[in-house]
Amino acid sequence: MVLDTFLISGLFHVVMLIGLALLLHLQLGLSRIANFGVVGFWGVGLYAFGVLYVRVDWPFGDPIQFVVCAALATVAAGLCGLLVGWLIADLDVDGVMVGTLGFATAVALLATTEQDLTGGALGMGGLRFPYDTGDVAVNELIWLLVLVALVAGILAYVWLVHRNPYGRLLIAIGSNEPLAKSLGKPATRTKLGLFTVTSALMGLLGAMYGVMVRFLEVSSLGIELTLAAVVGLVVGGSVRVLGAVVGVLLTVGVFDIVIQSYIPLPADWYTQTIPLLREVMFGLALILVLVFRPLGLLGHMRRDRLMKRIHGA
Amino acid sequence: MSDTTRVLEVSGLRAGYDGIAVLDEVDFTVGDEVFAILGANGAGKTTLLATLARLNPLMAGTVTFRGTDISRMRAYQSAGLGVGYVPQERGVFPDLTVMDNLRVGGMFGDRSVSERIDEVFAFFPDLKRKLNLRAGTLSGGESRMVACGRALMQEPTLLLLDEPTAGLSPLYVSTFFEAIRRIRVERQVAIVVAEQNATQALGVADRVMVLSLGQKSAVMDASELTTEQLKHAYQI
Repeated sequence: MVLDTFLISGLFHVVMLIGLALLLHLQLGLSRIANFGVVGFWGVGLYAFGVLYVRVDWPFGDPIQFVVCAALATVAAGLCGLLVGWLIADLDVDGVMVGTLGFATAVALLATTEQDLTGGALGMGGLRFPYDTGDVAVNELIWLLVLVALVAGILAYVWLVHRNPYGRLLIAIGSNEPLAKSLGKPATRTKLGLFTVTSALMGLLGAMYGVMVRFLEVSSLGIELTLAAVVGLVVGGSVRVLGAVVGVLLTVGVFDIVIQSYIPLPADWYTQTIPLLREVMFGLALILVLVFRPLGLLGHMRRDRLMKRIHGA
Repeated sequence: MSDTTRVLEVSGLRAGYDGIAVLDEVDFTVGDEVFAILGANGAGKTTLLATLARLNPLMAGTVTFRGTDISRMRAYQSAGLGVGYVPQERGVFPDLTVMDNLRVGGMFGDRSVSERIDEVFAFFPDLKRKLNLRAGTLSGGESRMVACGRALMQEPTLLLLDEPTAGLSPLYVSTFFEAIRRIRVERQVAIVVAEQNATQALGVADRVMVLSLGQKSAVMDASELTTEQLKHAYQI
């Protein structure tokens, strides 16, 4: 036994949310695209992958089958990002929030009603790892490491974006779109490109999740996933590269790993009380951070350093 | 004015917001010069400049820039042709440093960014000491310098300045108008400046247009503007 499967599952969830929060950081933190439909794009990737993997009779097996299905699922999520991004391009923040939330709701409804394809409320099995070591825990651990590599790649990409002209352009568009346009920047096209790529990567994370759980349930398409990514990002600091990482570790990490794996509680608490308490605490954390630390924990640390430099205090 | 010196031609321009016209039947031509637009609050100066920068749609009329009709162009397209714009407010990207604000302005173009930044310092030397500060922490005067410097990084051939000295201290006002004069002479950029400070504007302008309640009431050489016309423009 390498690692407890419960812990692997918790770690997988945390790392996946770090990936989603990093992508949301590019959308919301830099470009001010208030995407409240994260779960929708993730869900398109999850269900597109599941349907393609299980329902289509491919002439080849794994790992090529996985690669092809995951690639197509990523493209499907990206196309949804392109379509939704085009529809919300000229809306204000409220409109973008409602529009993306509506998209996520539509995805959940489709997954529920298209039973022949998705299994509907009954769910859909048949997914598996694209390899088999003969030990489920080892399979899961390897899959966790693959996800860690993917999210590390996303982190490196975000880090690079912060350090090149494209990142400056995104920040410029996010903070003052008309001004950016007056400087010769095609703001709408730039935002649309970013939204498409980040939505596609959210879809890829969904496909990765499908393999890990090996069973698709429509209950996974609820608002909780979006809420967890938003809370993690805002708590850590939406404009900092590491804000998403720190925020998700302090919120989802505490609940899904520390409390669930290391704090001894009555058994029924893990299934009933903790999930409820988790959402309440996330909501509370969001309110407290927005009131007392609106820049997030890392954002305030940077501001304090800046103020010291300006005032010499 | 010969065709070659016509930088901007505005004809029968009508513009406004939500279907309500703020400007109506505005015609004028700008050559290689400093062209001042004077008028009281609400005269339509900001609307006019935002429309010329293609941030505001035209309801009627045409805008021609160096022979190209830019009436239906988007802001980024006209900017690509050489129209630089410095808005009255929110002229900087507050989350970016001063250096990055300038870099964003210099994203396109053949000449090196560092060379262009050095040229901006020649006009606004105070910015040198603020390079690594976030633009959101700057004073009003410093922000205007960054905004103007960032527009210069685009290497425009026409610069639209919307009330560049509004709300600034007298020291900054003088500094700014001196910079406008030098930009015109050293960079050979045509400048359209909308300004409340008539005395300073007339000090640098070659010609002036008086705008009153959304309509052009006069275009003349700056030296010909009488006190009576000025009083009328400002509804004194």
